[in-house]
Amino acid sequence: MSTEIKRSSLLAGGTRTRLVQAGPADASEALVFVHGNPGSADDWVRLVGAAGAAGHRAVAFDLPDFGETVAPDGFEHTPFGYAEFVAEALEELGIERAHLVLHDFGGPIGLVWAMAHPDALAGIVLIDTGVLPGYTWHTLARIWRTPVLGEVFQAITNRRGYRFALNRNEPRGLPREFVEAMYDNYDRRTRRAVLKLYRATPDPGGMSENLIGILAPRDIPALVIWGEDDAYLPSSYAAEQERAFPSADVHVLPASGHWPFADAPETVERLLVDFLDRAGAPEASRPEG
Amino acid sequence: MPNTDSPYDAVVVGASLAGCATAIQLGRAGLRVAVIEKQPDPQAYKRICSHFIQASGVPAIERLGLLEPIEAAGGQRPRVHAWSQWGWIEAPPEQAGRGINLRREVLDPLVRTTAAETPGVEMMLGWSAERLLRENGSFAGVAVRNPDGEERELRARLTVGADGRDSRIAELSEVPVKTSPNARFAYGGYFEGGTPAHAPDASVWFLDPQWAAAFPTDTDLTFYAAMPTKERLPEFKRDPEGALVRFLADIPEAPPIREGRLVGSVMGKVDMTNRMRRPVAPGLALVGDAALAADPLFGVGCGWAFQSAGWLSDAVLPALTGEQPLEKGLDRYRRRHAKELRGHTFFMHDYSKGRRFNPMERMMFAAAARDGRAAAIVDSFATRQIGPAQMMPRMLPRAIAVNARHALAR
Repeated sequence: MSTEIKRSSLLAGGTRTRLVQAGPADASEALVFVHGNPGSADDWVRLVGAAGAAGHRAVAFDLPDFGETVAPDGFEHTPFGYAEFVAEALEELGIERAHLVLHDFGGPIGLVWAMAHPDALAGIVLIDTGVLPGYTWHTLARIWRTPVLGEVFQAITNRRGYRFALNRNEPRGLPREFVEAMYDNYDRRTRRAVLKLYRATPDPGGMSENLIGILAPRDIPALVIWGEDDAYLPSSYAAEQERAFPSADVHVLPASGHWPFADAPETVERLLVDFLDRAGAPEASRPEG
Repeated sequence: MPNTDSPYDAVVVGASLAGCATAIQLGRAGLRVAVIEKQPDPQAYKRICSHFIQASGVPAIERLGLLEPIEAAGGQRPRVHAWSQWGWIEAPPEQAGRGINLRREVLDPLVRTTAAETPGVEMMLGWSAERLLRENGSFAGVAVRNPDGEERELRARLTVGADGRDSRIAELSEVPVKTSPNARFAYGGYFEGGTPAHAPDASVWFLDPQWAAAFPTDTDLTFYAAMPTKERLPEFKRDPEGALVRFLADIPEAPPIREGRLVGSVMGKVDMTNRMRRPVAPGLALVGDAALAADPLFGVGCGWAFQSAGWLSDAVLPALTGEQPLEKGLDRYRRRHAKELRGHTFFMHDYSKGRRFNPMERMMFAAAARDGRAAAIVDSFATRQIGPAQMMPRMLPRAIAVNARHALAR
């Protein structure tokens, strides 16, 4: 399966972000990939290509202060600020209906967008994220949320320590290049952004009941993929996604961790492509007014 | 009044693998043996079983003269390829143990027919054990009943309980039992097509802590099995076939199970508690699962059924054919059983807790994935041809060296 993966940039929300795209570029319905923390548009290259090859428009971009993208002055580093940025990016891209593909902190961000635009949500793919009723932050997040300690921790984290700490929590380890690229993007700007974002999110499960109330009655097509041994967001939340997406197809991947698209790329790609096949032909084929 | 027959040398309760193997060997030694089986159908077979026989069981089967008939019936002789997070563990082909894969639907009638045709063996199908007979402080046979309510007392010098994990004979004889919990459950089914990559060899996946397996078998079928920890149980109960296929398709280097078609139904076993019983009492012995129902994850049940039947026959024949007291033979069997299996079961029962690998296992699995000689040692142990006491001194230095070399090469 060969499809062209186009890299370009996009002006949205007062900044220029990196864009990774594949598939029919003018379709008004598209898969929109939202990365987590740490993460960037680079996380999604393989899956964007796979969705494009399956005939769907697929787009991924850096969130402000992640990857190589700089947040504009006054940017609000909260799930709401980031959701606003997603909305502006979609508008720039001419995307009217979106299948969101969300990972990690991309979950709260994408779900806030979905709450504000429920009619524009055509489908959803949740990868180690989603509604998290009752969730309390993992250790690392608690460190980030603590004043001074968070700053010190971010200042002393070096490449070796980062690699060690990440792999130690992963059942199979992560591909070396993946971790290196992640660290390359984990610069001072991103580190500061992370502190702001986590400090602005005291209760990550807090919105869950509202989300469930708004989304569940719509029974949106959903695919849930969760690494069984995720050390940050426990895989017991995978089945809970059915509360918000009653028809969800839930896959908990054995021997996979927090980044299934990195440690089980073939499986995630197959599940995504199957899900898109089931969801039907892309609306790109429909004439739009 | 129940009928009382003239005494037998041995009465065996249970005409599955262990019971039939015991009866064949005692019968061939010229003894008179009754075999009691509550299933009236001579074609009956154990339905919930991965049917895999470890290489350790093959000599015992060969000794019974059953290896050729098993191969003629389509039995496969697989090696085992084991997936770990460090890669596939594969012993060099000439060093790898070869087990047997033949569906129980074929294997059980084959073994039962052989037993029934052995001179001296009387097969009593459709009879179940009601109570044990006692004489001078020793067990002395069993009272049996058929579905018409007819009761008979079968007197014997030796009573053998070969009636499986939930052994009625073990219960009636009140031998001490030790149990340890199993945090996993099992689901499995036969598939046509969707043949796994290593066929006809077997593949198992140590997903730490989850587990899956593919056993290609006779008539081009593959038995696919999943043994997850109990958090996964709801999805399997809700849709056994869907959950099994989804589980196998979602694992690393997944087999093409989705291209296969389920033949028959998916079977599950939720309670796999390990049971270890004292395998002897005065005048009585337990063989197979009745003596030791170990974690099905390790595929040892069928092989150990044949092996324990062999150990029992060897130990008691001098007593049943000659002058030696039976108690001596039974004690010899008890010691042999413990010597052969206690080390293995210690490790198995610990792994049944559903835990992740411990540092020692991580070290050994990693080394075995990186080095053929280490893989061969692990293979001999996993196919139960050597015990931990033989495996450890060979494996530990090798594992340390292999892992050190690997770390330096990075």
